[in-house]
Amino acid sequence: MNFTERLKTELLFFDGAMGTMLQDQGLQPGELPEIWNVTREDVILKIHKSYLRAGCNIIKTNTFGINPFKMKDSGYTCEELTEKGVRLARKAITETRTNAYAALDIGSLGRLLKPLGDLPFEGAYKAFRPVCLAGEQAGADLCLIETMNDTYEMKAAVLAAKENTSLPVVVTMVFDENGKLLTGADMEAAVAMLEGLGVDALGLNCGFGPDVMKKFLPKLREICSVPIVVNPNAGLPVVVDGKTSYHVGPEEFASVMKEIAQEGVSALGGCCGTTPEHIRELVRACKGMEPLKITDKNRSVVSSYSHAVVFGDHPKIIGERINPTGKSRFKQALRERDLEYIYKEALSQQDRGAHILDVNVGLPEINEVEMMRKVVPGLQAITDLPLQIDTSDPKAMETALRLYNGRPLLNSVNGKRESMDTIFPLAARYGCMVVCLTLDESGIPDTVQGRIEIAERIIREAAKYGLRKKDLLMDTLTMTISTGQSNAKITLEALRHVRYVLGVHTTLGVSNVSFGLPQREKVNTAFFTMALSQGLSAGIINPGSDVMMSAYDAFCALNGSDSQCRTYISRYSGQTPQPGLQSSKTRELTLFDAVVKGLAESAGQAARKELETRGPLEVIDQELIPALDAVGQGFEKKTVFLPQLLMSAEAAKAGFDAVKEHLKSQGGSSESKGTIVLATVKGDIHDIGKNIVKVLLENYGFQVLDLGKDVSPELVLETAREHKVRLVGLSALMTTTVANMELTIRMLKKKLPDCRIMVGGAVLTQTYADMIGADFYSGDAMGSVRYANELFETEAGKK
Amino acid sequence: MRADRAETLRYLGYRGQEIDSRTQELLDKISAELEQNSSPGSIYREYDCRVTDDTVSFGGLTITSRNLARNLRGCEKVVLLAATIGRTADLMIRQYSVTNLAGAVIVQAAGAACMESYVDEVEDSIRREAEKRGLYLRPRFSPGYGDFALEYQKDIFNMLECSRRVGITLTQGNLMLPSKSVTAIIGLTTQERESCHRTDCSQCGKTDCEFRRTQEQ
Repeated sequence: MNFTERLKTELLFFDGAMGTMLQDQGLQPGELPEIWNVTREDVILKIHKSYLRAGCNIIKTNTFGINPFKMKDSGYTCEELTEKGVRLARKAITETRTNAYAALDIGSLGRLLKPLGDLPFEGAYKAFRPVCLAGEQAGADLCLIETMNDTYEMKAAVLAAKENTSLPVVVTMVFDENGKLLTGADMEAAVAMLEGLGVDALGLNCGFGPDVMKKFLPKLREICSVPIVVNPNAGLPVVVDGKTSYHVGPEEFASVMKEIAQEGVSALGGCCGTTPEHIRELVRACKGMEPLKITDKNRSVVSSYSHAVVFGDHPKIIGERINPTGKSRFKQALRERDLEYIYKEALSQQDRGAHILDVNVGLPEINEVEMMRKVVPGLQAITDLPLQIDTSDPKAMETALRLYNGRPLLNSVNGKRESMDTIFPLAARYGCMVVCLTLDESGIPDTVQGRIEIAERIIREAAKYGLRKKDLLMDTLTMTISTGQSNAKITLEALRHVRYVLGVHTTLGVSNVSFGLPQREKVNTAFFTMALSQGLSAGIINPGSDVMMSAYDAFCALNGSDSQCRTYISRYSGQTPQPGLQSSKTRELTLFDAVVKGLAESAGQAARKELETRGPLEVIDQELIPALDAVGQGFEKKTVFLPQLLMSAEAAKAGFDAVKEHLKSQGGSSESKGTIVLATVKGDIHDIGKNIVKVLLENYGFQVLDLGKDVSPELVLETAREHKVRLVGLSALMTTTVANMELTIRMLKKKLPDCRIMVGGAVLTQTYADMIGADFYSGDAMGSVRYANELFETEAGKK
Repeated sequence: MRADRAETLRYLGYRGQEIDSRTQELLDKISAELEQNSSPGSIYREYDCRVTDDTVSFGGLTITSRNLARNLRGCEKVVLLAATIGRTADLMIRQYSVTNLAGAVIVQAAGAACMESYVDEVEDSIRREAEKRGLYLRPRFSPGYGDFALEYQKDIFNMLECSRRVGITLTQGNLMLPSKSVTAIIGLTTQERESCHRTDCSQCGKTDCEFRRTQEQ
């Protein structure tokens, strides 16, 4: 019987710790344990054999820390140490004649992945790959990816194992006392992702002893549909006189593990501090007990890096705003690579109560694949809501699905043969939930039966790829009632049938229904409410619409999913004006005053009022700029406080946006004074200072190309060259990264001698700036504005 | 762990300017959010050490740094410490960078204040244990101070198993993530007279630092 089958029919036993055993044998702090696969083979072999003789079925190879980063200066390659480690395990198994399994032990890389850290996802994948390949080749029976505390890293490891080997994959994680991974994921989020990716078993290891670990198991059993593995430490670490030890003895360990086995688990073993004695007692206490009965929990769930969203009787809101269709401002943002605009939309939808965010960045004139590559991790850096990947381009789809941290929702597949053939394999590979549209080669059926037939066909086809009903969200297609008065009825009857007869969750985009009618929101809201009562599991709507959201809140109270109407009451009791709106009694301020006081909304209002009677350039030159100048001077004289400066900058921005809108509506466009490239140099991840400079430069009429942080000199050069910029601003905060600033400057001076370079950052001084060849140094943000103004005015004067 | 208001303002370069009510509200809101949502964590280990004029050795590691050696002169033991206030501050900075830059600088400053206050707390508990054994603490000294090179972070991280125990990782450039994290070496001495009394900035060589504590602060 193979390993995965055996896990379901027999309680299996892992071995215990290797690391702490090696420390007892003289492993020095800071010494790599895996090197002993070559230098102290005998010790490794002995430890493996003692665990095998204690009665375990699975031994972990001594390969936990093997990855290119840790092995860099060791004198060994990942492949050779992995091979040695696996061979030693196999040798121990052969020589003890125990017919046990050798699990290729894969631990964390010890680096944080982008966008939070500096390691790209593909970099992590490539770091795991050599170990997987070498491990399978040397004879491992399964991959154990353990002591993981980051879902993103887990995903890279699982894909590396699944795409490069045919070994079963088991993943165990370290949770803290609150049931969260270090990167913030709760159990539901992690399980949703791992089950989607098709792991053969999952569970917990390390962190604490069996008594604490036991507490997490009821929840895990409730949500998990695959075998469960539990490998606790021998208690919590205790530091005495600088030495760490674990104090839970073999009998105590075994007795709690027995309770765990009684409640249901698939495999048991030990982590830090456990010894062959612990395993012997464990096997003695639990041998012959029944393993966990594996049942499908039938969860329709998506997740982000932090939490899961489960589809059920409580309907969910999918925010539709990140989509260029019909939104010229959004299209402009995409063309200008203004990602901040997209992030703002995301946060505002989150504020308004969206559970999931649709992400559609498809525009013919841009590179959608590259945009997804930036936007998906970028969004996940600022919002913890799960995302719906919305695209019809398979390459963009694959890029997004691969980079997504969590279990994504994919929009969409339809009943056409080509669509199902292209998209289902992707969906299966990346383990997502899929939105399915009930249309096919013949178009959109205009009967209820027609849509149901397509739904059934899609369900059958999905099953061929291992995608079950629980993995699908069926969209019975909203058509506009002004072209067919039964359209709403057809959609809703099909919806009801799909949900309650076929047993598949449903979704709809509602705004189509009212196309061509006046006061569309009224019709949309009624249709939305009707759909909710007919079994809509998730509505794709604008969470910024008060009317839609109050209908939603009222529905949840009515259908019993808002316990004691608590949410409804807390949101709607009190006065009618909703929280968050600025008080209507703000007296009207002049634009100048609004900017100085840092009141963004008032500034926007005041600007619009001014534009009724004055020209846009006049408003800029006589109100906005003087206001900024006043605040800027106050900042330099230290009479204006930094947060105040920034609020004024945001207020000025609101004023400028109003002017730009006005100019556009008149058919004109605002010309920028010049383009400036900004970047925080390679190796440096501090960017607040740079962001402050950016906001101020934009306020003063410059177009800023912000390359972000940790930017290579080559990218700065390439961007400056491509956009023919005359001024580059570089920021660095550390003495260790300022060397990269010097590199960047040298490169620019050589290839673009006409380009000026200004520098800033806490580590810099005028002396140092002169030394590395910068053209200008400023200790604060206003200096950069002055320099840019002077530079571009001189240029303009020269012309 | 607290976001001390005076410290937060110091990190914002405060020099007695007027703080209007909206800034005040933002300061209050962010301080409260940080205090409630952060997940601080720390780990420390004690080692015997040997100190010469320009080297310090403990746990199999030898550090070459005159400044560190001076700080630890006469100590026979050191405590190696790593602490963090968690990822919340970084998430807040990223979000505010999109919606309100004033909020981002405030998170930065209040986060630094929280971090320092948390390390002080951990240090206080180390101090209490040490005093029972007749030992006193020197001022904590971190990689990056003086000539104590940042490269040693790698070794400290290996020795404390930071990524596994408290979830702090290092970038290629030896910067810590989450960004509000601290590693430090704290010398233990039997001489109370030479120990730390939570000093001011007078010991530091960067006299042009914008955040240097003045006499009044």
